[in-house]
Amino acid sequence: MELSGAGPVEPGEGTHAWETPDGPRPSARPRGPLARRYDRHRRAVHSALAALVVLAGGGYLYATRPQPERPPATPPPYPSQVVDITYLEPVPSPGNAPTSSFSFAVLLSVESGPSVTVTRIAQPYPGLSVTSAPAAPFQTKADSARKITITMRVTECGKAPWNAGLPFLDVTLRNTRAIQVHSFILGQRYAQHLSDALQVACSNDSA
Amino acid sequence: MRQRSLIAITAALAAGALTLTACGSRDDDGGGSDSGNGGGGTTVVIGVDAPLTGDLSALGLGIKNSVDLAAKTANKDNYVEGIKFEIEALDDQGQPSVGQQNATKLVANDDVLGVVGPLNSSVGESMQKVFDTAKLVEVSPANTNPALTQGVDWQTKKVRPYKSYFRTATTDAIQGPFAAQYVYNDSKKKKVFVIDDKKTYGAGLAATFSEEFKKLGGKVVGTEHINPDTKDFNAVATKVKNSGADVVYYGGEYPQAGPLSKQIKAAGAKIPLVGGDGIYSADFIKLAGASGTGDLATSVGAPVEELPSAKEFVANYKAAGYKEAYEAYGGYSYDSAWAIIEAVKKVVEDNDGKLPDDARAKVVDAMQNVSFDGVTGKVSFDEFGDATNKQLTVYAVENGAWKSVKSGTYTG
Repeated sequence: MELSGAGPVEPGEGTHAWETPDGPRPSARPRGPLARRYDRHRRAVHSALAALVVLAGGGYLYATRPQPERPPATPPPYPSQVVDITYLEPVPSPGNAPTSSFSFAVLLSVESGPSVTVTRIAQPYPGLSVTSAPAAPFQTKADSARKITITMRVTECGKAPWNAGLPFLDVTLRNTRAIQVHSFILGQRYAQHLSDALQVACSNDSA
Repeated sequence: MRQRSLIAITAALAAGALTLTACGSRDDDGGGSDSGNGGGGTTVVIGVDAPLTGDLSALGLGIKNSVDLAAKTANKDNYVEGIKFEIEALDDQGQPSVGQQNATKLVANDDVLGVVGPLNSSVGESMQKVFDTAKLVEVSPANTNPALTQGVDWQTKKVRPYKSYFRTATTDAIQGPFAAQYVYNDSKKKKVFVIDDKKTYGAGLAATFSEEFKKLGGKVVGTEHINPDTKDFNAVATKVKNSGADVVYYGGEYPQAGPLSKQIKAAGAKIPLVGGDGIYSADFIKLAGASGTGDLATSVGAPVEELPSAKEFVANYKAAGYKEAYEAYGGYSYDSAWAIIEAVKKVVEDNDGKLPDDARAKVVDAMQNVSFDGVTGKVSFDEFGDATNKQLTVYAVENGAWKSVKSGTYTG
């Protein structure tokens, strides 16, 4: 099927109506005082208008200017990525600790970011309970380290980790980014000292 | 007069616009002209060896692409002045003999100053001597067998066998015990059936797991070895079912682990299968099917979402348009390649901006002292060539994906 529709008729050459210079002009309306002032200050008015347009245009351009790409504000690091806990040595247990207790010192350090609060220190083995000094919760600032005494009490010798190769502490860490439970595997020295301490505590217990 | 006003307005507008546009765009391009080619005169090749075809290619291609991204990033930033990095990637098909041939091929190319790879510990074992003789540095993003860095008697006396071998992955000396502790203490499983594929990685990992599990008081109620060339594990699955085990530990890789998990459950033993980084792949979940929900894997490193540096890597990897996922070792591969780039940079800068004649030996020496903030955290190496950053994560299959359930850091 052929299309038969026609587009809008465009004005052809010479189809415009020309103003006839000789035709009767509409009678000039009497000009008011405002118009007369405009006649007198035409240049000043034009300049003021131009300035306004520039200001408006400039304002528009300024408001819609391309923003330099700012890196998005980096959120603080996850606490487990900035906290380090290393094993130091066996230490005497606090005076009020039960006889089946033994203690170790560990060093907790916070590398960077906001302060980190330790809300809980635990260990996963049945037969043992753990407390700390300072007692959780406690806060540590970035770029600082503090010594913590971990005291363990044997609650059931038969269920204690006598011979664990890589025992660890489960530490709950909190900062403004997240709360995380992270395991700190303290290494072979800790494993050996834990095993030795358990032998002593349980032999005292049964004696 | 009217025309003059119009011209004045237009000119004023144009002037205003130009001034403001200039203000707005001043900070946009920083004046740099990075075009990605580094403009260097010398080409340094970073070799890659990984399984690029076959069952393990998902992991291997992730390694190759990540090394490629590191090389491109270094070139784009002109990170080592006068040096352009290229990669040469060879396929080892997961076979030690092929890996060894590849090592010889890479050694023969004088432009190769470092190699990233391989994936499998057994392949790594076969390549170490070839590279060490040529004083060519090798950084594995994935080998976890302790003997590769600490010698075969690593449990009693650690001795580094090869000076040119480094790795960014944590070893099975930590991974196996970490898994055992999680399975025994957190999952409360006490009876394990241990299976391995007889390979260096699988057998080694199963051994470190079993040892710790027994020390904690758990029982190994059965052991089996499987042939990695088969996918029919019905006989083993029946043995698992009859053993009364409440968990299975598998030392090996996902192409076998997936079907093994499926067949164990089909045999009637509705117990989780646990493995190491070798099964931590999306392909494991596909192969294990719906019954794989609850299966566990440990893998090296912290979950990617916890590492701000990893986020940038993930975004850049995506932007580079690689077809394959970066998988378990992408971040470690990028860091392995970047460690080589850092070592080359040090060697070039110490030699008035040029590569010395004995560049390979110098790169080996420089590697020992490399230290930078990488995708996976701080990257540096200890006296054995092992990564100093030792993080691990336990993942569980949930809703058809791996979900991190616990992370740990070795600080001993």
